[in-house]
Amino acid sequence: MKGAGRWLIPILPVPVIGLLAFGLTRDVQVLPSAIVGEPAPDFHLATMSGDSLALEDLAGEIVILNFWASWCIPCRQEHPALVRATETYDPGKVRVLGVLYQDEPSKAKRFMDRFGGEWETVLDPGTRTAIDFGVYGVPETFFLNADGQIAYKHIGPLNWGIIEAKVDSILAVEGATAS
Amino acid sequence: MRAALGLICLLAFAARPAVAGAAQEALSAAEIDQMTAELAAQLRCPVCRNQSVLESSSGLAREMQSVIRDRLSAGETPDEVKAYFVSRYGDWILLRPEPKGINLVVYLLPAAALLAGAGLLVRQIRRWASSETDLEATVAETQTAVSQATAEANVAPASQTEADLSRKALSEEDEEWIREQIGSLR
Repeated sequence: MKGAGRWLIPILPVPVIGLLAFGLTRDVQVLPSAIVGEPAPDFHLATMSGDSLALEDLAGEIVILNFWASWCIPCRQEHPALVRATETYDPGKVRVLGVLYQDEPSKAKRFMDRFGGEWETVLDPGTRTAIDFGVYGVPETFFLNADGQIAYKHIGPLNWGIIEAKVDSILAVEGATAS
Repeated sequence: MRAALGLICLLAFAARPAVAGAAQEALSAAEIDQMTAELAAQLRCPVCRNQSVLESSSGLAREMQSVIRDRLSAGETPDEVKAYFVSRYGDWILLRPEPKGINLVVYLLPAAALLAGAGLLVRQIRRWASSETDLEATVAETQTAVSQATAEANVAPASQTEADLSRKALSEEDEEWIREQIGSLR
């Protein structure tokens, strides 16, 4: 083989190997989200306590919107971090709101009674709100800013570090905008 | 009697659109079911990921089928329903990505690889063909050279010495060896 052709065959697999190597560096748990940065999908849902709650009722608050279920083991793992969030932040500024995902309210109530936490959880019949938010599974959490936009999305169990980082980041942006 | 017949005809005529409407509704439901299945087969199940929404038995996939059916029943086109899911989950939700942007790599790379492979194959075939021609030319040249050498050896000058004679004998051995080599090459 002459000239460039001599190098062509050994070089040809390089992009393919490079692509595979790049793939190995990716975390398969990290999935794309089309709605981060977009306004949160509107909803009007019944709460576990019998009231109703709409997205517009949350205007002006930072919302930690947590999709969860009592049968979900990682949801138990993240629960203390959500409890800490309700204890740490001013309730008028930062609100934790649960969305029950493919679960029965009675089981969800037992879960809350057992593991603690005073925040409201809304019911999602037909999983429509979860699909509207592009949820893959539970636990999955959306951080909404005071304008109702989805600032961040977290797939998998939360911990306090994640909550603090995301909420503080939203607070910092809003503080900078206000001043 | 005539009045009764007229009444029956009137009732039958009045009932006709209702019967036709029911048939239309049934047909629409069947069409919607088929369209739902077709769309569900194009969407990735967010839970199973390697299965379509149609194949998956997960709760979320079943609810997604229900959403598809409801949206189609509400008058949305299949493209609009697909766009809804893309707006929520991104292009990832499509088992067959749209041929645009970076997705084009998926469509163009196999064609490019095929073309490159075909080019290399053609090039190799040409090389094989040209090396065969070269071999024939080499054989012909060698035969000519052997013939010339033989002719020169046979016309030895009068003043040849013993050394010349032994060289001639050596040339004959060489000639034999060369013929054997040519034979093996063929």
